Amino acid sequence: MSIDPGRWIKTLPNNKKEFNSENFNLDNSKWIDTLPKKNKNISLKSYFITAIFFIIGLAAVSVIKDQTRNLQKEINNLEASINAINQDLYRATLDHDVITSPKNLLILAEKHLETDLISYKKSQIQNLNGKNEVFYLNKTSKEKNGKNIKEISKEVKYKIKQNVEAKIKEKKVELKKLKEMYSKPEELPVALKAKVEKKIKQTEEGLQQLYSDPEGVIRSGRVQKWAAIQVVKAFFGMPIIPGK
Amino acid sequence: MKKKQKKFIKKKSFFFKDYPDPEINFDNIQHKSVKVSLNRTTFLFFIFFSLIFIFSIKIIYLSFFTEKNVFSKKSNYDFVKKRADIIDRNGIILARSIDVYSAGVRSKLVQDKKKLLINLKLIFPELDANKIREKLNSNNFFYIKKRLTEDEKTKLWLIGNKAIVFEKKQFRIYPQQNLLSHILGQIDDNNNGISGLEKFFDSDLKNKKMIESPLQLSLDSNLQFLIREELINAKKDFNQIGSAAFLMDINSGQVLSSISLPDYDLNKRILIDKDIYTNKITKGVYELGSVFKTFTLAAGLENKKIKSSTIFKNLESKIYCAGRKISEHDDLPKDLSAEQILIRSSNIGAVRIAQKVGIQKYKDFLNSLELFQKINFDLEEIGTPLPFRWGKCKLATASFGHGITTTPLQLAKAYAILSNGGYRIEPTILKGNSLELKKQIISSETSRTINSALRKVVANKEGTANFANIKGYEVGGKTGTALKSVNGIYTDKKLNTFISVFPTSKPKYILLVMLDEPKPAPQYVYEFPNGYKHKGEMRNTSGWNAVVVAGKIIEKIGPILAINSLQASK
Repeated sequence: MSIDPGRWIKTLPNNKKEFNSENFNLDNSKWIDTLPKKNKNISLKSYFITAIFFIIGLAAVSVIKDQTRNLQKEINNLEASINAINQDLYRATLDHDVITSPKNLLILAEKHLETDLISYKKSQIQNLNGKNEVFYLNKTSKEKNGKNIKEISKEVKYKIKQNVEAKIKEKKVELKKLKEMYSKPEELPVALKAKVEKKIKQTEEGLQQLYSDPEGVIRSGRVQKWAAIQVVKAFFGMPIIPGK
Repeated sequence: MKKKQKKFIKKKSFFFKDYPDPEINFDNIQHKSVKVSLNRTTFLFFIFFSLIFIFSIKIIYLSFFTEKNVFSKKSNYDFVKKRADIIDRNGIILARSIDVYSAGVRSKLVQDKKKLLINLKLIFPELDANKIREKLNSNNFFYIKKRLTEDEKTKLWLIGNKAIVFEKKQFRIYPQQNLLSHILGQIDDNNNGISGLEKFFDSDLKNKKMIESPLQLSLDSNLQFLIREELINAKKDFNQIGSAAFLMDINSGQVLSSISLPDYDLNKRILIDKDIYTNKITKGVYELGSVFKTFTLAAGLENKKIKSSTIFKNLESKIYCAGRKISEHDDLPKDLSAEQILIRSSNIGAVRIAQKVGIQKYKDFLNSLELFQKINFDLEEIGTPLPFRWGKCKLATASFGHGITTTPLQLAKAYAILSNGGYRIEPTILKGNSLELKKQIISSETSRTINSALRKVVANKEGTANFANIKGYEVGGKTGTALKSVNGIYTDKKLNTFISVFPTSKPKYILLVMLDEPKPAPQYVYEFPNGYKHKGEMRNTSGWNAVVVAGKIIEKIGPILAINSLQASK
């Protein structure tokens, strides 16, 4: 392979040297290996890798997108639920404020609460508290715990009766013991004997006074108090024990 | 030269193709086939890449525009407030906007009018069937009902008629109904405030940046309710045509309660154009009578013209000024101290004090209390006191509150300044909106003397406000009985006022009670503080009605205020 120097030599800028055609002879063995055999394989491989990378990327993107889509759906649903709950709360607080407005509360109180209560004396309250039971009656309320006033008052009476009966029983037992003790005077200690003698004397004097001036005895405060107690007892249907 | 040679060598490669070689040609053929396959791959890759590119762009595009409309259920529950809430000092809702549905019918789309009419009548039995029939036959759109309840809306929806149309609209709900009608005001159909707070704070309430934070008032709805109840109950006893009450923190100027009766339900859109519905506290301009005597005494003390113990001797029972008689309301001793003039509410005594002070100083003192200029307040409805022409006789009449006008709000403000140590305050209806820098305009000494005198008006036997002497609250105050004038002519109708300050040892609250045209109450059993009961009273002065009402109010609100004070001090 040769080059026509006449054709090309003049195109070279300021080339004053003589043209040596040898310089332009190609060495086939030198250049043949430079043909892009290897490059072809490398390029295909890189294309292939790039393509695989894109395919994987594409798949990954679609999977991620799908996942994010699902997440977005879930987030949106949750947001919608939160919104709905907020709306419910928004309305509920308004409802609450309407229901609990002072005007409504007053109406409800008049309807449901017992404001018309019976007044009790302090002593009465103390007596009831003494037994750890507080009873209250309301004139206006027809029902209290599902029972009407009559039922409640019956219950109260019954409980009072029971208490009184229990007390009487206690006293009877005490009396019995005392009777037993006094039936054997020789066994009593001397001081107690003197005390009993004194009491007997007092009772005798009292009886004598009763026989001599019965009106005076009746007028005395003690008797009046006793009579009042008996009246109360009779009112509650309790048995009257003379002298007690 | 070397450089040029290098360039030349580089250029060599341009010439390869022009010199074919059989061996090279063979290889070239092979190379071409490779080239072709490479081009195909490149082309396929290009197509593939383009698709991926387009796909990526789409993904990016979708990422920017979230799929709200595709997947979200938000739209069903979306609610955008058009106005912010209004709440009281305890956080109780006073006004709130909600979406409410109205139902209408497109008559043209109705196929079976009879059936629809029956259904509507079943859901809304109160509706006039004949009117609906007429409207259905007119083939025009008409509303069945506005502001439907959820239940009503569901029932209508279940009819399944396409002709029924639901229209969503935002309405303002006032859960406390009448309680704060004069304060809150109203809005129009387009959600614009037209009166009261709704108008005054219209832009703030509609401001989208602030829409989630409610407008908190200094008012206490519980106190408001209790005071209102007492005013309503007072009507049974004293049969007044209207009444008003005003409770304010004396130091901060925060209004805790402001009531004007008659009032109206804010949830019902009705036309309110009668004068009786005026906000008596802020808009009403009245002659308030003897409550001005306190200012007269304070002016004397502040200008050091008198002391509380200064005796005014030989006070006449009546005097004349420009031919007009000025007399006492009762038989009073001829010699009275300055303090007793206030306690016994002596008109002639007040005139004598004012004369000692002089027109200019008296006028300056009243002006310093801002009684005659329009007050700055958080409401649209503000009254302007009538202009007052000063003169000798005017000084005399002004000294006991005759012929001089102001609003109850300004009166309360002036009393607050007198009682809080002389510090200027600005009444406000917003919580936490008090003046930070306090300017003292009256001396502490004058303030103390006035508080002591006001206490004696209530606590002393000869005082005019004994019925307000509620144990434990150290109530002080001043009564005012004024005759109402109609077209400039005085009538026998009265406007009775009692302004109280409590506790006087360390004033904290001011309560003003005003009864418009009360009547004598012979049926009412007055109970004096010593337990004495009195019935059949025919006097109709403030001491016999406004004071009684104020006493009852203090008895009720006192414990709440005391508890709140304790909480505040903690």
